[in-house]
Amino acid sequence: MRPRQDLIEIFSTFLQLEADRFDRWAIEPKLRRSMQQCLAQTAQTNVSENFWALYWHKIWQTQDNLLNLAKEHLLAYVQESCYWAAQKTAAGFASNQSSLADCFQMAIAQIDKVLKGFDSQQGFNFKNYASATFNSLIRELLRQRQEIDICTDWALLRKISQKRLTESLVSAGLASETIASYILAWSCFKTLYVPMQASGTRQLSKPDRQTWEAIAHLYNSERYTQLSSSGTAVQPESLDKWLLACAKAARAYLYPSQVSINAPRPGQETGEFLDNLPETVQTSLLADMIAEEEASTRQTQRSQLTAVLINALKQLDEQSQTLLALYYQDGLTQQQMAERLAVKQYTVSRRLTKAREALLLTLAKWSEETLHRTATADLLKHTSTALEEWLKTHYSHPDLQSPDIPQMEPPS
Amino acid sequence: MTFNSALFDPIQVCLDIEPALQTQAWQQSQSFATPSSQWNAYLNQLCLDTVLPWLQDAYERQATPAPSATALPGFWELVNGSAIAVNRTRLVLIPTEAIDVDEIRVPQEWVDIPDWIADYYLAVQVNPDDRWVRINGFTTHWQLKQRPVDWSDRTYPINESDLTADLNALWVARQLHPEATTRARVPAVSPLPLAQAQTLLQRLGDPSVLVPRLAIPVEQWRSLIAHGGWRQRLSDQRRGLPEQQSPLQWLQAGISNLSQQSGWTRLEFQPGLAVARGEATETTPVLAKELTIANHSYELRISAVDRTSNIWRFELQQSGGTIPAGIILRLLTEDLQPFAGNEDTANAPVEQLYIEVSLAPGEGLVWEIEPTPDHYDQEILRF
Repeated sequence: MRPRQDLIEIFSTFLQLEADRFDRWAIEPKLRRSMQQCLAQTAQTNVSENFWALYWHKIWQTQDNLLNLAKEHLLAYVQESCYWAAQKTAAGFASNQSSLADCFQMAIAQIDKVLKGFDSQQGFNFKNYASATFNSLIRELLRQRQEIDICTDWALLRKISQKRLTESLVSAGLASETIASYILAWSCFKTLYVPMQASGTRQLSKPDRQTWEAIAHLYNSERYTQLSSSGTAVQPESLDKWLLACAKAARAYLYPSQVSINAPRPGQETGEFLDNLPETVQTSLLADMIAEEEASTRQTQRSQLTAVLINALKQLDEQSQTLLALYYQDGLTQQQMAERLAVKQYTVSRRLTKAREALLLTLAKWSEETLHRTATADLLKHTSTALEEWLKTHYSHPDLQSPDIPQMEPPS
Repeated sequence: MTFNSALFDPIQVCLDIEPALQTQAWQQSQSFATPSSQWNAYLNQLCLDTVLPWLQDAYERQATPAPSATALPGFWELVNGSAIAVNRTRLVLIPTEAIDVDEIRVPQEWVDIPDWIADYYLAVQVNPDDRWVRINGFTTHWQLKQRPVDWSDRTYPINESDLTADLNALWVARQLHPEATTRARVPAVSPLPLAQAQTLLQRLGDPSVLVPRLAIPVEQWRSLIAHGGWRQRLSDQRRGLPEQQSPLQWLQAGISNLSQQSGWTRLEFQPGLAVARGEATETTPVLAKELTIANHSYELRISAVDRTSNIWRFELQQSGGTIPAGIILRLLTEDLQPFAGNEDTANAPVEQLYIEVSLAPGEGLVWEIEPTPDHYDQEILRF
């Protein structure tokens, strides 16, 4: 992949893949113009990409009318992060039918999780946070696909959340009344049909006639209270069809048909870029200055934080340090670590957890003292994700922990 | 086959399920009343038996099932979820077999019944095929209460993106701010008259009522199930177990299995006065239960004063000491109403607290003590 060089390009171009390989960077003219205007205003050339990421994130959080523009810029910004995450993860699990392009697209479509989850106050790097989020989104996607692929339809129906099923049915284009009936049918199915053995539940076969009748019976009595229009009584045969349609929709939802990469680009159709651009300039004037102000303290904070964490790592006992290194540096799985250290996976999990807990506690205390932010469970949620990313970077590129070195993942 | 930890978010806790534990959980689940309660009991047992030892090991030795390991299966006949007490903090594990954990649905009972409320709710994915559990994240009672109930299944659904994935965040938050608000206020449970409760117990005790928690109006259900004794009775009845809590039967034929597990033992006592006088008398059988109140051991004793007129004596003693001022022993009718002479209070340190009651045949009593003993669960004793 050709890395993007200048700031304008970084915040206004999108990755184009061809047959699972990097093809080129496609420019989005409106974004380009917006970035040009912004840069013209700062009149400073040495502003880092992370500064702009934080700036757009702040706009995204605070300026409702520029929300989509900011999101577009950040979407452009995280293209590489998502690409490397997809490449790394897809390569590791080539067994199933998940291409790089596929993983990339599924992950980038969930940009909102990155935007919502990132907390700029914590002093961490936006791109690192995006990488961590994309990595875990793709991992989770692959895990789910792996599992769904070996489930029978009947097993799959037992192993899906109501939210996921509803979304699958919506995405399959069903009417809301039909969806309500299907969900009720599915809930009756789950009440009456359970695996008859302790494991091997993924091979669950089709219910027998008697079970179908019981499901139909339950559905027909529940429809009066559970459905806004109770409809007519259904026969087991129809329920069979409905449930298979549910299973099909659930599978299709995890393997959406290929659409063009970067397809979900909200705001593009509304012409809002053109309308809002002059305002962008105005708003950014003030926001720039505030953000700049913050950025200088943020740099100090980031180096402090690194010092605090490195010190906390040194305080850990030797065993914990070894575990962390095996995990983050050598990339061993917990099972592999367990084998190497001749202990149970459970023990590895516990010790890793304890080591991370100590670091999180240090970080939370530091954040309370330095940033005066009360460490609520909610805030710690962000801290913990950021810590995880810090650990990964620390163990893979200890040299990259100084504040402002660009955090590109190396092309492999 | 175990899980491939490379496919999991490293922040989340993933644990192997021990094969022996799986076999045992499956066997135990077969005594539940319906296919879905069997499956529910199975998942909850797998989840509890895997997560609890890990919690004890990684965080808090004192973590115990709440109200007790004996009482929890009684919940699983009726509702999904397992409570754990860690000192004064309560957690509820909500297992799910879903492959995706886009949302977790917390049954309303765990959120809206005052005695069931927990500080934290943990979403736990259970995969019995590959034998692992994963703690997907947690939320607080307060956060759950900011959301609407889904009345179709009476749950509080919460999206995975609103959970905190790292369990460490929970313990760190508790260490730094133990006083932080985790719970929202919920309205008290309105009492249910005895006759109504009996009708409901009879109706819902029939396992052909597939999902009892959704079969009656929500307020009635909440009142019925909030009563520990009725909850246990309903569960037992659906599972075809006989009424277990009869002191008279315990004295005559021995203590039932479940009640033994919940701590009741049968002792033989020589009346103190007779021993002092040197008289040779027969021993008196006494039922006793060990309790822990404010870190001290106590013993609750029940004995028949006069079996023919059904007069019974309840006694509270502290093992090797006196009962400090402020402790109250109280008896209530089955539907939790007070009656004349139903309590004894230690106004100053005393040797023992006791109450003698004369009962109609078949009458039920519930005992309680202030302050509440550890692992207390209301139980109906039938005389």
